[in-house]
Amino acid sequence: MKKVFIGVVFVVLLIFSAACSGGDEEASGTEGSKEWKPEKPIEIVAPAGAGGGWDTTARMAAKVFTEEEIIDSDIGVVNKAGGGGAVGWAYVAGQEGSPYNMFVASPPLLFIPLNGQSEYGHEDFTPIANVIADYAAFAVAADAKWDNLNELFDDMKKDPSSITVVGTSSPGSMDHIQFVQIAKAAGVDVTKIKYVSDQDGVGLTQLLNGSVDVFSTGVSETVEQVKAGTIKVLGVTSEERLEGEVLEDFPTAKEQGIDATFVNWRGFFGPPNMDEEAVAYYEEKFKELSDSEAFADIRKQFGWDEMYMNSEEYQQFLDEKKGEIQSLLDELGLGE
Amino acid sequence: MGSLEGIIAGFQVAFSLEGLLFVMIGVFVGTFIGMMPGLGPISAIAVMIPITFGMDPAPALVMMAGVYYGAIFGGSTSSILLNAPGVSGAVATAFDGYPMAQQGKAGKALAIAAISSFIGGTVSVILLMLLAPMLSSVAISFGPPAYFALMLMGLTAISSLSEGSTIKALISAVAGFMIVTIGIDAQTGTQRFTFGNVNLLEGIDFLVIALGLFALAEVCTLIIKRKDLSQENAHKLGSMRLSKQDFKDMSGPVTRHSFLGFILGVLPGAGATIASFISYITEKKLSKNPEEFGKGSVKGLAAPETANNAATSGAFVPLLSLGIPGSGTTAVMLGAFLVLGVQPGPLLMTDRPEIFWGIIASMYIGNVFLLILNLPLIPYFAKILKIPRPLLISLVIMFSIIGVYAISFNTFDLYMLLLFGVVGFVMRLFSFPAPPFILAFILGGMMEQAFRQSLTISNGSLTVFVQDPIALTLLIVALLSFVFPLIRVIRSRRA
Repeated sequence: MKKVFIGVVFVVLLIFSAACSGGDEEASGTEGSKEWKPEKPIEIVAPAGAGGGWDTTARMAAKVFTEEEIIDSDIGVVNKAGGGGAVGWAYVAGQEGSPYNMFVASPPLLFIPLNGQSEYGHEDFTPIANVIADYAAFAVAADAKWDNLNELFDDMKKDPSSITVVGTSSPGSMDHIQFVQIAKAAGVDVTKIKYVSDQDGVGLTQLLNGSVDVFSTGVSETVEQVKAGTIKVLGVTSEERLEGEVLEDFPTAKEQGIDATFVNWRGFFGPPNMDEEAVAYYEEKFKELSDSEAFADIRKQFGWDEMYMNSEEYQQFLDEKKGEIQSLLDELGLGE
Repeated sequence: MGSLEGIIAGFQVAFSLEGLLFVMIGVFVGTFIGMMPGLGPISAIAVMIPITFGMDPAPALVMMAGVYYGAIFGGSTSSILLNAPGVSGAVATAFDGYPMAQQGKAGKALAIAAISSFIGGTVSVILLMLLAPMLSSVAISFGPPAYFALMLMGLTAISSLSEGSTIKALISAVAGFMIVTIGIDAQTGTQRFTFGNVNLLEGIDFLVIALGLFALAEVCTLIIKRKDLSQENAHKLGSMRLSKQDFKDMSGPVTRHSFLGFILGVLPGAGATIASFISYITEKKLSKNPEEFGKGSVKGLAAPETANNAATSGAFVPLLSLGIPGSGTTAVMLGAFLVLGVQPGPLLMTDRPEIFWGIIASMYIGNVFLLILNLPLIPYFAKILKIPRPLLISLVIMFSIIGVYAISFNTFDLYMLLLFGVVGFVMRLFSFPAPPFILAFILGGMMEQAFRQSLTISNGSLTVFVQDPIALTLLIVALLSFVFPLIRVIRSRRA
C-alpha cells in the first residue's frame, strides 16, 4: 500500500515539475554586453494543443537547435491552447522584454485579431524570423466534374448556391480566406460562397461522401488521398510548382491564369520590446537552423518549403499581408 | 492479394520479442495514466511521443496504440472507485460502477469492468481485422444530416437517464446545451457567451465539467454526510469473484455492445464517449428491470465498459485506412505517426503492411496483457478506498486539479472546475440528475454543428434530413424510442 502511495506521489511530483519547468522566467534583458547569449533555458510557446502544425514546427525547431548544437541552452516547448492562439499570445504578451520567451505563429496571428478574437496582433510582438512556408490546396472528389480551378469557378459564378466548400477553421480564418482570396482573383462573387466549418477534422470525410464539393486545406493533407486516387487537387496557392513526388503534379492557381497566391508562413516571435541584441542573436540562429541539413530533412518529411525572413523583412511582409486580409474581410462583412 | 502475407508479417512484428516488450510498456503506461482521475489517453500519448523519437516505427506505433487502449481500459478504475472519471469514455461507467463500489462491491465492479473491457477489446480487434478494409466505406458514409440524426437518437435517452422527475432531467439537459454554446461558433466565427474573456473562446473543456459535476460534487457530499452509516460499506472491498448469475447478466450486454461500440467507434467524431452512452441507454431500454440502473446494476456497468473499449479499436479504422482522425485522441495519434515518418491513409495497408497489421495484431496481445495486469492488481487498487476519508477526499481534489491543469496549463480552468463543483453539489441537493447535463453537453455541440452544416449545404431546406437514407433510419429509431415509453405509460394507466 505504502509503495503504491509513494509511487503516486512521485508521479504527481513529476507532472508538477514538468508543468512548472520553464514557466516562470522573469523578464531580464542583459544590457551592455555587445553579444547577447542566452544563459537560461528558452521557452517556445505553441499556442495550440499537441500534434498540430504550430506544435510540430516548434518541436522540430527545438529538436534541431539542440541536436545540431546551434543553441546551447535548454529549449522547452510549452503548449498553451485556447482561442485559436489568443490564450498563448496573451501569455507571451505578458512577458514583455524577456529574451527567453518566444512563440511560433502563422497566418492566424493576422486573422484572429482581425476577427476580433484576440486583443493582441502581430504589431504587439517582436518578429524574430520566418522559417518555413506551406501552401493551400483545393481538392475535390476524384470523380467530380471539374478538372481545373477555372471550371470550378465558372460553375460558382453561374450558381454559387450549388457548391459547398468545407474547411477546418471558422469563417474569416485560414481555410476560408485562402479559398476566398483565390476565388476573388478569378472573379467569383465571394460574398456568395457557401462555406461550412468542420472542426472535428472530418472535412475530408465530407468530401469523400459527397456532402460537400470542395475541401480547402493544406497541401500535405491531400497527398495520401491523391496517391490512393480518392481525390484530385484542382490547384495549389504557391507561386511556382512544388517539388516532390505527387506534389509536382499539382497545378498552381497562377498557371491557370488566376493571379493570386496564398502562403501559410510559419515563424517565431518574441514578446513586446524584445531586446535588439537578443533578436539579432536569434535571427542568426534561425538562419543557421534554416540552412542546416537536419532541418532540410524535416522540411522534406512534412512537405514544407524553405522561407527565411529576418526580423525586418518579416515585419514588412506581415504589415502588407494584414492589409490584404483586412480588405478581404471587409468585403465579406466579417471584419470588426 | 497479399493481405494474408500482410497479416502474417503483422503478427511477426507483434509477436517478436521487441513487439511484445513495447506492447507491454504501452499498455502499462496507458493503464497507469488512464487510472489517474483527469489524465486520459491524450495526455498519455502526448507524453510518449518524444520517447519514440528515433525508434523503429512499427514497435513505436504498437506501443502508442497500447498506450491509447490501455488508458481507456484503466479509465474505469477512478470512475468506479472515486466517481472521478479520467476519460470522457468512462463517465457512463461511473453511473453504475460507483454505486456498486459504495455498496461494498468494489472488487466485483472492477472485475466486471476488466472482463467486459477485455471482451469488448478483443471482439472488436477481430472485427477490425476482418472488416477494416470494408469498413472504411462505412466510416465515410455519414454526412452531416446522418450525424445530426445520430446525436438526436442519443438525446432521446435523456428521460431514461433520470431517476425520478423527468422535468428535472430535462432542465438539467437544457443547462448542458446552454453551456456547450460558450465559445467561438464554428460556422460563423462569432463569439458566444464569452463575455470578452479569452479563456472562454474555445468553450469549456469536457473534463472540467465531468470532474466538477461528478468528482467535486461527490467530495462535497461526502464531507457533508460524514456520519452517514450507509457509507461504511464503501470501505469494504468485497470479493472480486463473480457468481454464475453475474456472468449470465454480463453475457448479453457484452456481446451486444462489442458490436455496437465498434460500429460507433468507426464513425469519425462519435468515438468511445458516445459509444458508451448509447450502449448504456440501449441496455437500459432493453432491460426488464430498468429501475436497477444507476443503483449498481451489473448490466449497466458491463455495457459502457464493453462499448468504450470496442470503440477504441473501431477508431483505428478511419485512422489507419483513411488517415482521418475521428477524435482529439486519434488526432494526436496521427501526429505520432507523422513524427515517425508513417503516413496513415488508404495506402498504408499496401505500402507498410507490417505496420498496419502489426498494430492490429498487437491489440490481441495488448488486451490479454491488460487483463493479466489488471485482474491481480484489483485488490490493491481497491484498497484506495481504505485510505482514511479525509485523506482520500484531499487526493481526489488534488487529482482533479492536476487533471484539469494538465489540459491547458491555465489557472482559469481551475476556477471553472470549482464553479462546476459547486453547481454539481447544488444540483444534487435539489436532486437534478447530472448525467443528462453531461449527455447534452457531449452531444449538443456536435448536433448543433451538424444541423447547421446540413442546412448550409441544402440551402436551408429541411428535406435534407429525410433524403439521406442513414439519417432517415436514425430519425425513425429516435422517434420510436421517444414514442414507445409514452405508449407504455398510457397503456399501464389504462390497465
